[in-house]
Amino acid sequence: MKSLWRMALVSTIATYVLIFIGGLVRVSGAGLGCPDWPKCFGRWMPPTDVSQLPPDIDPSRFNFTLAWIEYTNRLSGVIVGLLIAATAVLALVRARRTPGILWPAVAAGLLTALQGWQGRAVITSELAPLVVTVHTVLALVIVSLLIWAAAGAYRQVHPREAGEGLAAWAQRRLLLLWGLAIVQVMLGTRVREGLEAMREDHPAWSAAKAIMAIGAVSHLHMALGIVVAAVTWWTGRGLLRAPGGSAPAVRQAAVAAMVLVGLQILSGLTFIFWDIPPVVQVFHLWIASLYIGTLLLALAAARQPGPVPAGEMRG
Amino acid sequence: MSKIITIGVILAAVLGGVALVTLYQADKARSELPVLGTVGPFTLTDQFGEPFTDADLTDKLSVVEFFFTGCRGPCPIMNGHFADLYRAFAETDRVQFVSITVDPEADSTARLADYAARFGVSDRRWVFLTGPLDSIVRISETYFMLAADDLPGNHSTRFALVDGRHRIRAYYSGTDAASVDVLRTHLRELLDDLP
Repeated sequence: MKSLWRMALVSTIATYVLIFIGGLVRVSGAGLGCPDWPKCFGRWMPPTDVSQLPPDIDPSRFNFTLAWIEYTNRLSGVIVGLLIAATAVLALVRARRTPGILWPAVAAGLLTALQGWQGRAVITSELAPLVVTVHTVLALVIVSLLIWAAAGAYRQVHPREAGEGLAAWAQRRLLLLWGLAIVQVMLGTRVREGLEAMREDHPAWSAAKAIMAIGAVSHLHMALGIVVAAVTWWTGRGLLRAPGGSAPAVRQAAVAAMVLVGLQILSGLTFIFWDIPPVVQVFHLWIASLYIGTLLLALAAARQPGPVPAGEMRG
Repeated sequence: MSKIITIGVILAAVLGGVALVTLYQADKARSELPVLGTVGPFTLTDQFGEPFTDADLTDKLSVVEFFFTGCRGPCPIMNGHFADLYRAFAETDRVQFVSITVDPEADSTARLADYAARFGVSDRRWVFLTGPLDSIVRISETYFMLAADDLPGNHSTRFALVDGRHRIRAYYSGTDAASVDVLRTHLRELLDDLP
């Protein structure tokens, strides 16, 4: 079980790095750096010179830097995919009678395969808004499943660190926040798409002006962000002051969620007052994914380990 | 807890550094256009009857084309694209569009002004220039390296992008929407680099 916990942890961290790289690809405008899939300009390694392009490809579409940024994302995706597949296989071997670990791990593996296939749709659709949104949300669901599996395996290895269980109100609120956070990410991707369309029509506009002109989606994203922040702080405060105290892992996850949501509000404000700095855009999405992870961690950390089925040794 | 915070801060700093370098390189790669030539001295007259010289290119991005008002072939398509870009960049006077007639005998300033009005041109962000034919041929062939034989019918349909230091940075097909989209992206990128 220890090896499964370690494998799930490594997969989770690697997936977070991949989400960061994915955001970087999007913000740097390298999404179509390789216009085909899985190859890049018809080659397994991106071309280093225009002369290496296939004759049917317009040379003006080739940009060495953008091609390599996108290709790095794909290579990282393959590595992370293999790690998640290994986690799923390990869960099948070591946790086949512990559904709370087995199913999240296997589901993460299957969804990762789907994500790889869906990556093709992202390219062939030339970054169609809906397809990009599905790609982002799928990544968040995968990392959520991995966290759930990792926390389950950790509890089996360290049963004494398990909490006393969360109050029903806290569980409901954390699940609500998780759902709202996913909706927020979906709205955020729509804001980004609106921003790109707006800058296409009004290239000389400042990004802040463009974001205000997007309209309802943008305003809804801001309003919901404030609601999520308020509910997070309210819930976090409740968990930190719970009678009898919450488990240490729950307290840490609550503090982390409160800090992360605060950072999200701050990064959102920089979009309006500092013309949407690209590096902050990358962190805005990434912090959202970390926030989603901490919510699940708080939920998972308080769960009881349950009996270890025969043949699935702790430690 | 302090260990977790330290690791978090270090990780954020490393990723932030990677992000900054990647974004800088991507930005540089997109706006890095070669210098293909330089526009030398010239003096022509715009649709308002005012002189327009090479000095008017300074510190602005200029998109230059050759056309004539009587042209029924590619010119309406080219100027349709110019009109789209003229509207898209309405918020800045640092991007200008320069249409030089290759039929100066027929295209008087008054005729150019009428033609400009048809495209909704109301300011000097889009100028229509006329002048002596030999000057126009010299500008087309010597500065822009665009053939100007058998005028007016056989003029080039390419757009040239000139930066604020009079340097020609790229050419685009004036009749191809995809090529004009690339021009639009280049204008946006180079606009950020203008002083």
